[in-house]
Amino acid sequence: MESASLPVGHAGEHEHHGPPDFHRSARIDQTVLGILIFILSEIMLFASFFAAYFFIRVVVSPDSWPPAGVELPVLIAGINTVILVSSSFTVHYALEAIKHNNHRGLRLGLGMTWLLGATFLFIQLNEYVHIGFSARDGAFGSIFYGLTGLHGAHVFVGLLLLTFANIRAWRGHFGPEQKNHLGVEVPGIYWHFVDIMWIVVFVTIYVI
Amino acid sequence: MAVALRQPGWYRGALGALLGAAFGFGLVVALRAISGLDVFQTEQTGYPHVIVPLITTPFGFLFGFGAFDYWFRWAAGKPTVPEDHANHGATRWQDYFKFNTDHKVIGIQYVVTTFGFFLIGGLLALLIRAELAQPGTQIVDANVYNGLFSTHAVVMIFLFIIPMFAGIANYVLPLMIGAPDMAFPRLNALSFWLLPIAGIIFLGSFLAPGGAFDAGWTGYAPLSAGAPLGQSFFNIGVQFAGASSIATALNFLVTIITMRAPGMNLWRMPLLVWANLSTSLLVVGATPFIAGAQFMVLFERALGMNFFQFLEGGDVISYQHIFWFYSHPAVYIMMLPGFGIISEIISTHSRKPVFGYRLMALALIGIVVLSYSVWAHHMFVAGMFDWLRVPIMITTLLIAVPTGIKIFSWLGTMFYGKIHTYSTSMLFALGFIVTFLIGGISGVMVGMVPLDIHMSDTYFIVAHIHFVLFGGSVFTIFAGIYHWFPKMTGRMYDEKLGRVHFWGTMIGTWGTFVPQHWIGLDGMPRRVADYASQYGDWNLVISVFAFILGTVQLVFVYNMIVSWRFGPKAGNNPWRANSIEWQVSSPPPVFNFDQIPRVVGGPYEYGTPGARHAIMGDEDELELPEPKPSTVAGPA
Ligand code: HEM
Ligand SMILES: [Cu+2]
Repeated sequence: MESASLPVGHAGEHEHHGPPDFHRSARIDQTVLGILIFILSEIMLFASFFAAYFFIRVVVSPDSWPPAGVELPVLIAGINTVILVSSSFTVHYALEAIKHNNHRGLRLGLGMTWLLGATFLFIQLNEYVHIGFSARDGAFGSIFYGLTGLHGAHVFVGLLLLTFANIRAWRGHFGPEQKNHLGVEVPGIYWHFVDIMWIVVFVTIYVI
Repeated sequence: MAVALRQPGWYRGALGALLGAAFGFGLVVALRAISGLDVFQTEQTGYPHVIVPLITTPFGFLFGFGAFDYWFRWAAGKPTVPEDHANHGATRWQDYFKFNTDHKVIGIQYVVTTFGFFLIGGLLALLIRAELAQPGTQIVDANVYNGLFSTHAVVMIFLFIIPMFAGIANYVLPLMIGAPDMAFPRLNALSFWLLPIAGIIFLGSFLAPGGAFDAGWTGYAPLSAGAPLGQSFFNIGVQFAGASSIATALNFLVTIITMRAPGMNLWRMPLLVWANLSTSLLVVGATPFIAGAQFMVLFERALGMNFFQFLEGGDVISYQHIFWFYSHPAVYIMMLPGFGIISEIISTHSRKPVFGYRLMALALIGIVVLSYSVWAHHMFVAGMFDWLRVPIMITTLLIAVPTGIKIFSWLGTMFYGKIHTYSTSMLFALGFIVTFLIGGISGVMVGMVPLDIHMSDTYFIVAHIHFVLFGGSVFTIFAGIYHWFPKMTGRMYDEKLGRVHFWGTMIGTWGTFVPQHWIGLDGMPRRVADYASQYGDWNLVISVFAFILGTVQLVFVYNMIVSWRFGPKAGNNPWRANSIEWQVSSPPPVFNFDQIPRVVGGPYEYGTPGARHAIMGDEDELELPEPKPSTVAGPA
């Protein structure tokens, strides 16, 4: 922000000029790299809960898993998985659309993704209400709620990011160049991570 | 006033904190009312009315303080002003109390704040030593004692050593790689402001009913799951400190990968940059594990969940596995940046290139990889799987190899060098090598299962950790501060006082921690307020030296404050060092450079006539002698 009325000489030199452009020593965008590193540490956060899961299930090795009398709604969770996984495709579609300057496609894709994510979260909460055991019911209850809850919290954060992206998409802020659609790409990367993580959670908790 | 409340700053921050507290409290009340619970009853350890506001208040403060203004504007879809640098640089002391986005200001904020925590942690340590000076209980009872050693360790580890290194690197690393700032300046500022918050939470636990958290810095469950309210302060404070270090590490990684000056390939990076690259890899990979562990303990305490309760089908040992999977890498998080500092100083003051530069960098990476494979050496006597002991013993002994490489390389650097000890930083670097060496050797000893069975949980461990943490990390921190003090302040410190400080610290450290090996081998247990009278004499000696060690730090404080204000002007490059931060003015200009420098050679080519590391933007290139081909590292 160079002010037009700089006095002549060196007087205006120190305060008002901005920093020199840094030299790009890598081709990857900084924000994209940042979110990838962040996801790495998110994976490790999940890993700590999976470690607890491993100890409770494999090392303690209870007689039955899930405990007798507990029936996990595998079918509903499976349908929910399909819902969440399909939202990965819609967010990818949105990104491709804006790369081709297709604003309608962008809005459609982002809107669909948001709705699918919200549906997932709603079904999950509904499952909590009807499942018949609580987080206090033994180590099984704790790790079930611990892992699905941790994941649910991530879906919630992802949805927040997607909300912002939706708002800006409707205001027409994005464009085909990468620096103009980072606001779609970065939440999208995070969303893919949330999806893949769900598949891991689903398989460990419900399937095996 | 109304205007002040609308502008980001302390007034709005205070208002935000109040609103945050009210929100948290209201949330608990409302949720309890909805679920038909007694609105105000507090469970024995749960205390939701305290711990939820403990989480929401800091967020309220940060909102008010202006940490999220930009992101809010972005989230609401408003046009975001491109960085206008309004929050950049410091012209008055008040600028250090703002949400400042300048890496140099943030660096100083870090260094000063964390040093304050060092003094607080030191006072706690002196209280511990006062109690232990004689057998029996004189000053504090056993419960308070447990709180003292727990808070001492937590303050020193999470609020001093780890963030101090982040602070020093914050200041010098962007300059060293020729970047105008860190990659994410706002995130950088946020990381800093999370620290005082964590500090207030940790120390605030002294006010909690039942006293400060007292399950050790390790906070083992199930002990911690049933401890009084103070333990929750630990669980929550760690989240803030951990988030701060993850965010900083992410920032360092992105900065190092994407913002290096032209010509600075990996093999031309100063070893401090390598060290912070490695440390950051450890932080982003391991810190989430302590976050997870503390979340689980908090859930047990506040929500009655059962991850670690045997009777409920939980696994009692699993906490230790998860905790140490963070905390062993964490000991290297507390050491690798120091290794980097030492390499800079030894090479500069021996006027010789770092011996085996590439191997030094690779050793760092080797330590990173191996660190993830040794966590269970803290659990040899915990009753974990028998079969895991020997493999872990082997990896533990292996990790001493890259560590040894570093020591030999420093010695090799000094060999036939022109060693200058006119700088206190070099004295601390030399003191570091001998002291850390002892700590490394005792580490190898306790890494051996049969020896560890004898020595675990005795004062031998206390001796080991202080030789590596005080003789290692703290010595490197002092070395670093003395080394870059002229750069940060533009002034010289008093060398005589520096010498007094060094020798006092050296004698204090050895006097305090050497005898602990002996009483440890003799069987004196750690973490107990009282001890058998046969250990009385040595403990008195230890306490006397500890007080010498504590007192001599005041010399440092005095030296730093007075020199910062009145010291003689330092000039740009008092140590005649090669790396880029010394080629700019002291202190550096607001945006570091007018033009990004060009890197033309390795960072340590001392003794090679005409060798250059970097050509600064304002130099007339044509008049420069052609730089000699690099002896340390060619283009990779
Ligand atoms: C040569 C390298 C090292 C080896 C082989 C080593 C080995 C060990 C072992 C086996 C223990 C567990 C002893 C026990 O509790 O029975 C231990 C404890 C510890 N080490 Fe090291 N160590 C090394 C270097 C370091 C470094 C560089 C640091 C930090 C800068 C460090 C900090 C600690 C701490 C803080 C503990 C005590 C944890 C507690 O509170 O129980 N060590 N070390
Ligand atoms: Cu260890």
